[in-house]
Amino acid sequence: MIEDIDLKTQYPHAMLPEASADEFARQEFVKSLKFHLASQVSPGNKDAFEARAKPRFERSAKRPPETIHDVRKAMAEEPYFNFWSALQRNSQEMMWKSVQLSVERQLPDLIDASKSDLPETGGTLRLDPELETPRYHSAVDIHCMPGGYHSEFTTDDVANGATYDRAVYLYAMGRMGPFNSDIGDTTIAWIKANHPDFRPRRILDMGCSVGHSTLPYCDAFPDAEVYGIDVGAPMLRYAHARARTLGKTVHFSQQNAEATDFPDGHFDLIVSHILVHETSHVAIRRIMREANRLLAPGGLVVHAETPPYRDLPLYDAFMLDWDTRNNNEPYWGASHELKAADVAAETGFDPALAFEAYQPSAFEAEEARRTRVFQGGDFGGGGAWWVWGVQKAA
Amino acid sequence: MGLGRSEGRLTLALLEFTEHKMTDTTIELRKKAKGERPQYFQDPAIDKVLAITMALAGEVAVMHDQIDTMQRLMEKGGPVTRADVAAYIPDTEVREERDAWRQTFLANVLRIVHQEREELALEAGKLAESYDAAVELVTSEAA
Repeated sequence: MIEDIDLKTQYPHAMLPEASADEFARQEFVKSLKFHLASQVSPGNKDAFEARAKPRFERSAKRPPETIHDVRKAMAEEPYFNFWSALQRNSQEMMWKSVQLSVERQLPDLIDASKSDLPETGGTLRLDPELETPRYHSAVDIHCMPGGYHSEFTTDDVANGATYDRAVYLYAMGRMGPFNSDIGDTTIAWIKANHPDFRPRRILDMGCSVGHSTLPYCDAFPDAEVYGIDVGAPMLRYAHARARTLGKTVHFSQQNAEATDFPDGHFDLIVSHILVHETSHVAIRRIMREANRLLAPGGLVVHAETPPYRDLPLYDAFMLDWDTRNNNEPYWGASHELKAADVAAETGFDPALAFEAYQPSAFEAEEARRTRVFQGGDFGGGGAWWVWGVQKAA
Repeated sequence: MGLGRSEGRLTLALLEFTEHKMTDTTIELRKKAKGERPQYFQDPAIDKVLAITMALAGEVAVMHDQIDTMQRLMEKGGPVTRADVAAYIPDTEVREERDAWRQTFLANVLRIVHQEREELALEAGKLAESYDAAVELVTSEAA
């Protein structure tokens, strides 16, 4: 199937908001700006650190910077870094705006489309208007998306689902593939490589948003039932319609991963894709206890994220931490300190069965195979995803 | 390109051609993400002016693509109505040319930033150079 698809363009499924010529040009500009900042402007931050901020810190502290907090203190007075930060923040805000313009214009059509005669796949949608939005989502709008995952602007709203689907493509500069599915594909590749005989009967994707990471599980495990949960209704309405337009069977429901209504031992595989950093210290532990309850013996919970700071050189960890204070990701920094075995031990799992691993990006591997050119947009993912989790004792 | 994209675009083009304004029933999405926006400069007006400048740069890029579309349609000798311009879908080659144009454009717009970056690279290079020179000095026959 992938052979027929333009790998340089987001796949235009029936729910994807159309962009007019001008809207498309504006979105392309945002993508170019992000690329320019990452490849042409950001490298100067390292020179500013080495040449100016670090020596200044050493003169006043009488020691080299040892933690990312030291680096942040040193860089706080660095004009080049502050200017890059301002540009980077603007690129994020411009990204949302560039997508909102087209979503706003065609929102009634998108809502109609989500309710029209889409292919019947057997997939279901269950919403819970009573569900309370967790405070770690209502406190600030995560990654500066106005309204976050949960806000609704009209009846049967799909606006932020549509906005998120298109913006994720721009944010990743296309490097997550035409279906934005790279994190799911990569997590699956890790599971298949490390548990080749694993045959899950039911799979749960926690914090699935528009289902871009969920859908690959339908193809990878065709005998399994696939479920996706999220706290945001606009995400789930969009996800359900999107899954149907793409002919995939997924059961979506509006639930908080900390406490779901599924029976004990219902799932063999529980996954999440960049969910963890959007929760909280307390919530991730509740989520892991809930995963423990939901898993059948021998089942797996796998979270995909960006690398923990301990695995990175100090300066790189500092740069990765930018989102914590500049992109409305308050748990980003602390979540990058989590250790799989510690969390497993705290949440009733056997820490000896915990794991942490790096898995190369599935899309980049596929693209390299096809074109024999290893394209380096090189922002964020760094060509691999970090997976961590634990197996429940058999 | 995939399913029905061109058809969809054509319908859209006609729509864009006839209805430029938003209707009264337009549902407005939120413009500001909840959460305190960091202030990057001492005077908050500078934060605003930078945001406006970058938005304007974006609009120049939009106009560039529009002119580029018109030129390409004219080169083919076809009609260049507003609907034709709106319906034009750039192929991979055109998109790559526009990507390259935007990188040059951004390097021009952000000239002052790149000047500083060059200066910083020189400074960082000198630090590295002087250390290498020191190592060279103490390990060579000369010292």
